[in-house]
Amino acid sequence: MLRIQNVSKTYPNGTQALKNVSFDIKEGEFMVVIGLSGSGKSTLLRCINRLIDPTEGKILWDDVDVTAAPPAELRQIRRKIGMVFQQFNLVKRSSVMMNVLSGRLGYVNPWTSLIGLWPADEKKRAIEALTRVGIADKAAERADALSGGQQQRVGIARALMQEPKIILADEPVASLDPVLSHSILQYLEQLNKEGITVICSLHFLDLVHRYATRVVALKDGVKVFEGSAQEIDRAKFKEIYGEEAQEVRAASM
Amino acid sequence: MSNETANRRPVGRSGIASALIPGLGQVLLGERYRGVGILLGFLVMLGTVVWYKDPLWYAAPILIWLWNIWDAVSLAGGKARSILLPVVIGLAAAYGIGWQVVGIDFGNADLNRAAAILRPMAHPDFVQPRQEHNAMWVNIQVPCSPEPPLARREDAGKVATVLPDCGPVGETLIVNISGMWPNTETEIVWRTPIGDPKMVGEGEAQMLVATTDGTGSLTTTLRVPTTALVAAPDPTLPQFHRVYFDQYRAIGGIELSYVGNEVLKGALATVSMALLATGLAMIFAIPLSFLAAHNLMSGNPITYAIYVAVRTLFNILRSIESLIIAIVFVVIVGLGPFAGMLALAVHSVAALGKLYSEVIEGIDEGPIEAVRATGANWLQTVRYAVIPQIVPPFTAFTIYRWDINVRSATIIGFVGGGGIGFLLVELLRVNDMRGVSAAFIAIAVVVIVLDYFSAKLRERLV
Amino acid sequence: MQTSRIIRNALVTALVIAAFVVSYNVTEADFGRLLRNLPNGQELIVAFITPDVTTRDVETRTISIAFPIPCGSAPNESSIPTSGPRLVPSVDCADPRTKFTLEGFDLASDSEVVIRWRLPDERTMTAFRTETDADGYFAYEVEARPISITVDGVASRLEVDTLTPVGDFRPSGTVTEVLDAMFVTIFMALLSTTIATLIAAPLSFLAASNITRRGVIGTAVYYLMRFIFNVLRAYDPLSMALLFAFWLTFGPFPGAMALTVVTIASLGKLFSEAVENIDPGPVEALQATGASPLHTVRYGVLPQVIPDFVSYIVYHWDINVRISTIIGFVGGGGIGYLLNLYINDFKWHQAGTAIWAIVIVVWAMDFLSAEVRKRLT
Repeated sequence: MLRIQNVSKTYPNGTQALKNVSFDIKEGEFMVVIGLSGSGKSTLLRCINRLIDPTEGKILWDDVDVTAAPPAELRQIRRKIGMVFQQFNLVKRSSVMMNVLSGRLGYVNPWTSLIGLWPADEKKRAIEALTRVGIADKAAERADALSGGQQQRVGIARALMQEPKIILADEPVASLDPVLSHSILQYLEQLNKEGITVICSLHFLDLVHRYATRVVALKDGVKVFEGSAQEIDRAKFKEIYGEEAQEVRAASM
Repeated sequence: MSNETANRRPVGRSGIASALIPGLGQVLLGERYRGVGILLGFLVMLGTVVWYKDPLWYAAPILIWLWNIWDAVSLAGGKARSILLPVVIGLAAAYGIGWQVVGIDFGNADLNRAAAILRPMAHPDFVQPRQEHNAMWVNIQVPCSPEPPLARREDAGKVATVLPDCGPVGETLIVNISGMWPNTETEIVWRTPIGDPKMVGEGEAQMLVATTDGTGSLTTTLRVPTTALVAAPDPTLPQFHRVYFDQYRAIGGIELSYVGNEVLKGALATVSMALLATGLAMIFAIPLSFLAAHNLMSGNPITYAIYVAVRTLFNILRSIESLIIAIVFVVIVGLGPFAGMLALAVHSVAALGKLYSEVIEGIDEGPIEAVRATGANWLQTVRYAVIPQIVPPFTAFTIYRWDINVRSATIIGFVGGGGIGFLLVELLRVNDMRGVSAAFIAIAVVVIVLDYFSAKLRERLV
Repeated sequence: MQTSRIIRNALVTALVIAAFVVSYNVTEADFGRLLRNLPNGQELIVAFITPDVTTRDVETRTISIAFPIPCGSAPNESSIPTSGPRLVPSVDCADPRTKFTLEGFDLASDSEVVIRWRLPDERTMTAFRTETDADGYFAYEVEARPISITVDGVASRLEVDTLTPVGDFRPSGTVTEVLDAMFVTIFMALLSTTIATLIAAPLSFLAASNITRRGVIGTAVYYLMRFIFNVLRAYDPLSMALLFAFWLTFGPFPGAMALTVVTIASLGKLFSEAVENIDPGPVEALQATGASPLHTVRYGVLPQVIPDFVSYIVYHWDINVRISTIIGFVGGGGIGYLLNLYINDFKWHQAGTAIWAIVIVVWAMDFLSAEVRKRLT
């Protein structure tokens, strides 16, 4: 359903983050993008919802060209793609509720939302989303009063508000400890089973094996592997990344 | 042997280098910071003594220069000298010169005068016992016309007479009054035709005070004051002067005194000036602060030029105290709190603008990205990702600025900017230390109370 | 919960609006007047922006012509040259109270021009001022005043001076005056900060709860010190200076005294907070070794607070330089006093010089103190 065709990205300072990357994502997949930091994972995910505009190539979603969408249409596309971030990206001084509601901005009346008026059913939806991630009781608290794991769950609830077809998760667990990592990824897995396509970047091999249905590996902006999670065992990993792979694996222990 | 010859040369060379330019020897030996520091210190010291023009103090830069040569030589030998010595010399010279320049002279501090100032200040003129006033007056002609009218006046059962009916300056008059409150002190004051009060007590420097008898009458003598005619256009022309009789008695309770009332008005004006100035400054500072935020404006040369211009303007205006800015506004809009308010506002635009722009520079990009990713439009992104991040610190800084402005507003009256400062200068001019004391107490109360509440509010915001 | 929040917000908003309305009235704000009178400030601001920093020697050249009033009372100017510096009136002579145009040709270019009457008795009369253009030309309408009439067949003369700046630029007298005053200002700040530090440092321990607040006497001392600090801190040093100048007469001394008193309170409060925020661990450890209270302070407290103290001192030195630039307005001495003098004499360009000096010094101090504090922390 999502086709990434020959996508390249060169930053104004000359850094080439992506080089001619192509692959397809089928509906309902739990696609994991692996790679070392700086390999272009974040850039790739951000190209899909065009937080970053690719310099070359096309991204087609159900045959709609995302890369050519004018601003209004782009916003229509974006609201169907939820995103979860490594640093959670919550407004720390705002309440949890307000952060979750902001996931609905693509749907609600743009003018009433400007003065902070939200329909009652949107608030109900927000409470439901928070209940699903198990922190409905924190709705009134300020986001910075929550622990890291709780903040990431707010991030997921915010993405859920979009009723997304796809969730992009950019290193969702890199700032969390291993136990919390599993709990967050289990939420994503649950959503995936309910039919949402998940595209997630990770760099812990253990987590990749546990959750991914398919894997794309990037190295210095180039796609070096595409296949099932089982194919990418330690030996393959080492083959792709050389000795550095040891570090990546070790980091997950 | 060979070692020694190898060492001798740099020793001599660095010594000479440092003798020519202080610090040069140290720089040549690789101690760049030490060398530059020595040079700057030496130049500052030299500049100071040259400015002061007292040959005695030339010893200081000379000693530092000698130390610097010694240090360069020892440094070449591998041993640095302690920096303490030149620092002590420099400080001694700086404080010695400073002491004389500032004219510090504690011998001049006249403690008796201090006591004379402070004693009335122990009784601030803020409230007074409530009292009622009983007044009466009578006309008297000075100097005499050929047929002067009778110097007698009746009013509401009170009768005042003066004998004779007229008189030249210095004439002794017998004044009599009846129908006043009995057994009450009565102040007797002379008033010229234009209303100038003249004291007629001892030596014309004291108030003449007499007490009425049991029936409310009194009789006393006074002399036509020597200064009665100084303001008269023609001293030979007979005119009516007046003798006033004033009685006061307490009726229980206390009330604001005249000065107390003025102090309260001044305090209100001070707080108001600060509030309005802060509000006005906020309106201008918010848009300007975006232009002075590095992260927003460094994109292309044009916006960067705007950024530099706004920053420079902020820095210049921040350096000029609002007191100085007030002078300009006093010229433009005249004396009064409006001028002071505008001056505070201009200074605050710069101060707030700088603080705001730092908040904007410190903004977290993450939430902006996240909100954009949900499909929000530009306005929604600003509303949900930018404003929640900047409003609390903006508010906190604004309240803090109001707090500072209240303090500045207390002095802006010194140059005619209105508020309690204006009153303070006036009270000092007429030597009313009790009033000054009341004004000082009011300043402390207002500032401390606002300080407390502003701190509490800011605590809740951040 | 929701309604109570709405009511609270509405109340707060109403209060804020009311406060601004009251302030607007009390302040006698009148923005119409500000806009109408804005041109009044133009001259002032232009003068401030163009400070008096340099001066040049001025060369004065004078030419004159005879101008009989009324016509025929004396011979006209014999012959007006047709080239070179010359004055050409539109009429050769005039009756009193008539106006004519005086033109000057080929004079010194871009120079100030002073036009005056030289009466037959050699007295001179009210000057008019104008300027020549780049070609050395000027035109000015002159009135034949009755006072300039011919006496005994000798006509009054129209005299024109051109004032041309020549020679090199050199610093004006104002610059030296301002520099002088600036030195005094900096020394005022230096001395008051130092004296205040020496007094505030020991006092601050008395106002630190973790050191002093023990027993009845300790608690009383603690609250007393805090009260004194808070009250003195409430005053702007200028109000204090007003009082000190009243006592000690005008000069830098009362200014420095006032600054010292307020700085003691301000530094005392900051210092005491630094003392209150120390880590009690090392103090406890020292007490456990049986050290005396004085030793505890020397080895357990001082090392912890000194970096904060130094940072606050530098910060206050910066503030005090800023304040001593204006304290002269009331206390006398320093650049503020000089600025006040200039302003009272309407010497706006000179005032501009002083203001620029203040901007530069305050800016430099701000930068230096920020750099030093950055190094410290």
